[in-house]
Amino acid sequence: MRFLAVVLRHTCRNLLFTWKSQIMTLFTVSLSVLIFSFFYLIYSNALHISDDLDDDLRLIVYLDEEPGLALKEEYQRKILKFDQVDRIEFISSQQAFKRFEQQLGDNRDVLSGVPADFLPSSIEVYPVRSLDSLSRIKRFSDYLSTLPGVLKVQYGKEWIERFYAFVQLMRVVVILSGTLLIMTTTFMVAHTIRLTLLARQQELELLRLVGATNNYIRMPFLLEGAFLGFLGASCGIAALLLLFNWIKLQFAGPTTLTLLPFTFFSWPIILSIIGIATLLCAAGSFSTTRRILQL
Amino acid sequence: MSQETAPPDVIIDLIKVSKVYPPDVHAISDISLTVNRGEIVFLTGMSGAGKTTLLRLISRMEKPTKGMVDVAGFDIAKLPQRNIHLLRRKIGMAYQDFKLLPNRTVADNIAIAMEVVYRPKSFIEKRTRELLDQLDLVRKYATRAEELSRGEQQRVSIARAVANSPEIVLADEPTGNLDAETTDRVVNLFHQLHRQGTTILIATHDKSLYQQTNHRVIELRFGRIRAPHAESFEQNDEEKPTFPALASAPEA
Repeated sequence: MRFLAVVLRHTCRNLLFTWKSQIMTLFTVSLSVLIFSFFYLIYSNALHISDDLDDDLRLIVYLDEEPGLALKEEYQRKILKFDQVDRIEFISSQQAFKRFEQQLGDNRDVLSGVPADFLPSSIEVYPVRSLDSLSRIKRFSDYLSTLPGVLKVQYGKEWIERFYAFVQLMRVVVILSGTLLIMTTTFMVAHTIRLTLLARQQELELLRLVGATNNYIRMPFLLEGAFLGFLGASCGIAALLLLFNWIKLQFAGPTTLTLLPFTFFSWPIILSIIGIATLLCAAGSFSTTRRILQL
Repeated sequence: MSQETAPPDVIIDLIKVSKVYPPDVHAISDISLTVNRGEIVFLTGMSGAGKTTLLRLISRMEKPTKGMVDVAGFDIAKLPQRNIHLLRRKIGMAYQDFKLLPNRTVADNIAIAMEVVYRPKSFIEKRTRELLDQLDLVRKYATRAEELSRGEQQRVSIARAVANSPEIVLADEPTGNLDAETTDRVVNLFHQLHRQGTTILIATHDKSLYQQTNHRVIELRFGRIRAPHAESFEQNDEEKPTFPALASAPEA
């Protein structure tokens, strides 16, 4: 208990001693966390949307004519032999027509005089949820198009391709901004701690001479690093929350943004980001203290 | 770690110790010295004779180039860095350059030695005032160290060295900047510690401290021990003389 009190007192003294560089470090850590968490927020929401897309994902296999019972069985056998297929559904020309009518709603009149079998019959293939890789979907689609009597296979190819490319890009950006976060937090904190150490070198030397333990000397600097990480990350997340709410307010009308299920981080993710930043800063502080004090 | 290499009543044991600073400065050569618990030893000699180096070796501020230094059961050469604090807590050292923190108060400078061993705040304040009173510095309690005279700084350094009542006190020129009256106060403090059983090593030029004393006086010359002036540490308490400078000083 007394150790803790002494260490806290020394930490406060350190923070006051080099407050200018502490504020600079705090600002840098906050900014790094803000940049990282901004991209991570977009990425995690994109993943969420992609999950939803996966739920709706289906491949529509258009056939050149209504299949007979034997052909249906053959299709069923050839498609369901793949583990990645959850279920299939045959849609006749009539069923397709009815659906189209329902989709048109009040405008169904435009279909008057159009024969009920003008739409091709099709098979709707619902893949299992694990079939999330675009290349695998593509390969499966290529296979389906080789089946006899298949006109074409459709799965919202362009939209899905673009979206997955966006998710890939966001993944790269998140990794880059994460690296930036790691570098700035550890290096900046290490630099600040170094300044504190140099400013207090005389005192640290004396502490060793009067019998202070390594922990007694090291702990205040570790706490200082952890404190900078905690406060910096908290400020960064708070800034992101403000930005998030501001953007939501700006696009409150019926825009694309409001149609997407865009949500802020959950508490476990917020705490994880703050915890990781705190740990990174403490690690930066630890390595500098170790190097300069040779403890 | 603790090495039981010296007999229990021997607190400092140096065997054929040499210290060479780069490139080739022989600070001390082949010194063997044994100091018993509770003894007072004066180290004398010209500047550069090796007095300070000897004290620095004992407090593990330096490692010997050759030989063995055993202090309070610790073999200095083998003592790992993480355990140095165990030795340093047994030693109080008053440095020639004082090693005070200039921008901290007198009280802070003394308290630092007690804070590292987690003494209660009330104890630290009481002990600090007590020591400052003994060294006639109470009025300087809250003065910053950089505002003190050299003599005052020297006394603060001594107060810090003895604050934890260590087993061994090492004093490097403790009266170098003091007048006769303050010297008496310092000597009186050392005498009080001595009576409590503290082992004291004093490196000094000040002859008034050791002339006419029967405590051991060791003269260093060019890094070697010249010859002991007296070897009376085995005398009984009644025969043990006090410091000559204490002749007129009241018993504390």
